[in-house]
Amino acid sequence: MALIVIDNVKKVYGEEGVVTAVLHGVSFSVEEGEFISIMGPSGSGKSTLLHILGLLDRPTSGTYFFAGENTAVLSDEALAIARNKKIGFVFQSFHLLARTSVLENVILPLYYSNVPKKDYISKAKIALEHVKLGHRLNHLPHQLSGGEKQRVAIARALVNDPKVLFADEPTGNLDSKTGKAVMDTLDNLHRQGKTIIVITHETSTASYANRIISISDGNIVSDQKSNSRHSHFSK
Amino acid sequence: MNFITTTKTAIRALRAHLGRSMLTILGIVIGVVAIVLVIALGQGAQDLILNQVQSIGSNTIIVRPGRQPTGPSDAADTILSDSLKQTDVTALLKPVNVPDLESVAPAVLVPSAIAHDNTLFRGTVLGWTPEALGQVFNVNPDRGAFFTADDVRQAARVIVIGNKVKEDLFGDSDALGEFVSVKGQKLQIVGILPPKGQVSAFNVDEIALIPYTTAQKTILGINHFHELFIRAKEGANVDTVVADIEATLRETHNITDPEKDDFFVVTQASVIATVKTVTQTLTIFLVAIASISLMVAGIGIMNIMLVSVTERTQEIGLRKALGATNRNILLQFLIESLILTSTGGIIGTTIAIAIAALVSYIAQTYFNIAWPFTLPLGAIFLGVGVSSAIGLLFGIYPARKAAAKNPIDALRFE
Repeated sequence: MALIVIDNVKKVYGEEGVVTAVLHGVSFSVEEGEFISIMGPSGSGKSTLLHILGLLDRPTSGTYFFAGENTAVLSDEALAIARNKKIGFVFQSFHLLARTSVLENVILPLYYSNVPKKDYISKAKIALEHVKLGHRLNHLPHQLSGGEKQRVAIARALVNDPKVLFADEPTGNLDSKTGKAVMDTLDNLHRQGKTIIVITHETSTASYANRIISISDGNIVSDQKSNSRHSHFSK
Repeated sequence: MNFITTTKTAIRALRAHLGRSMLTILGIVIGVVAIVLVIALGQGAQDLILNQVQSIGSNTIIVRPGRQPTGPSDAADTILSDSLKQTDVTALLKPVNVPDLESVAPAVLVPSAIAHDNTLFRGTVLGWTPEALGQVFNVNPDRGAFFTADDVRQAARVIVIGNKVKEDLFGDSDALGEFVSVKGQKLQIVGILPPKGQVSAFNVDEIALIPYTTAQKTILGINHFHELFIRAKEGANVDTVVADIEATLRETHNITDPEKDDFFVVTQASVIATVKTVTQTLTIFLVAIASISLMVAGIGIMNIMLVSVTERTQEIGLRKALGATNRNILLQFLIESLILTSTGGIIGTTIAIAIAALVSYIAQTYFNIAWPFTLPLGAIFLGVGVSSAIGLLFGIYPARKAAAKNPIDALRFE
């Protein structure tokens, strides 16, 4: 079974008269190992879609099967556990804890897992080696460049060995050079078998994916395979 | 997420706003100091009074005229009543009436200053028996001697004075054999007491003793007593002796209804019970007042935690996105407020105990009051316990608010 199966997912915000429909019935599925870009202008509903896919929000209607489970029947606590074990997030504004070392930022998801405490540091180090930041363990976030911060965030997303990585505008706060480094890191993870879903409005970032889903006004307008990988950044 | 990690995270968050955390803790510190100090000092004061009461000895029984005081008018009645007379003493001394009675010392209070030349000393002049002070309080003159039983029989014009009375009236010169006047009556000093300070209800240094007969006949012109100091025999059942005394006095006073007694009996046990009731009531009252400051401090905690929750909305969102459950977030913030208040509780309790020890030290060293200091274990548990409870009570609302945050809204929050 596919990793992600959503069927006719709708999301409506607001109550008592003032109702804003953000998603108008979206359906698609994602196989394990895919690298997908979800593209669309701001206000298209792509962030809402990511929140639903990332189990941070629930759809108003429609069904969502994640890793074979119907998410509608899962409790909030079960969703939190699923986020912890099976999902990694990378955000546009990094969301690293200030005054907290790189190592401890990466350990953060392990606190909420059932990983034994003695394995925290070794797991975090492996994740940081993965993003080539093994030499920055005791640095504080404000001592890092934007690209390094985002790679710490990627290491944090990886530390629990999730099934899928969601990245919300991962290059949005970075210049094109560091953005390329971050996307290369994600690309590398994809080659190693991770499922990656990136939300972006930049075609250069989207071009890394092998499948691009375009969304506009809450509807999927196109869903196609892409072969144009690296076309932009490789120049 | 285990407890130690959560605690570490909480301490880091609190240290990020060290000044703010300190000020919040200060509120708790003040509240806890107030409560623990009230209890510790209350305990010290109670122990002090009880020690004095106990120094009377458990086989001492005091009979006072009038009714058992239950209000201010009764107290006046006690002073004015003339129900205790020599016939009562005679009756009490008969072994057939009170078999376990050792001695009766009638006491007469003379409300007057002691004069020498043009100097006045305002102390306590007490008409008593020669053996009473020596027996009851174990104090004897170090110069001269007590007046004798003969002096009592003859209502001799003699007086024994405390050390401070002597110092104030005579300075360094020898006072033995000199004369002082009480209510215009000349009395010769036959004994001077050593400096002894407070013993039981009396400050021995400021006391003056004369034969009770002299106080009655020569000075006041009365024939009743203000107090009977009775000692029961060693090993006697005090309750039985009290019952015998009451029966004897009712007989000599022709009283059949105990409700109409014109005297009342005070024993060490009854005084202890009264003292405990009074100090405990007072302590509860003061603790209740001090608790208000702790409540105010608790509201301060809640306020600062609410600010903290709002400031860290993004952090909460991130933690939830990374897998923190509502319970994880709730615990994190609850532990933060708990650390704030229990730190305040520990600091406050320590300060309060230090102050209580200092008060005891100053009272003993500079005021010669045997104010005891005992580590108030109950107060320690109360101080730390109550402050922790405050942390839970006032921390739960901000913590619930944090836990209820929607991760998406929290992540978007800028």
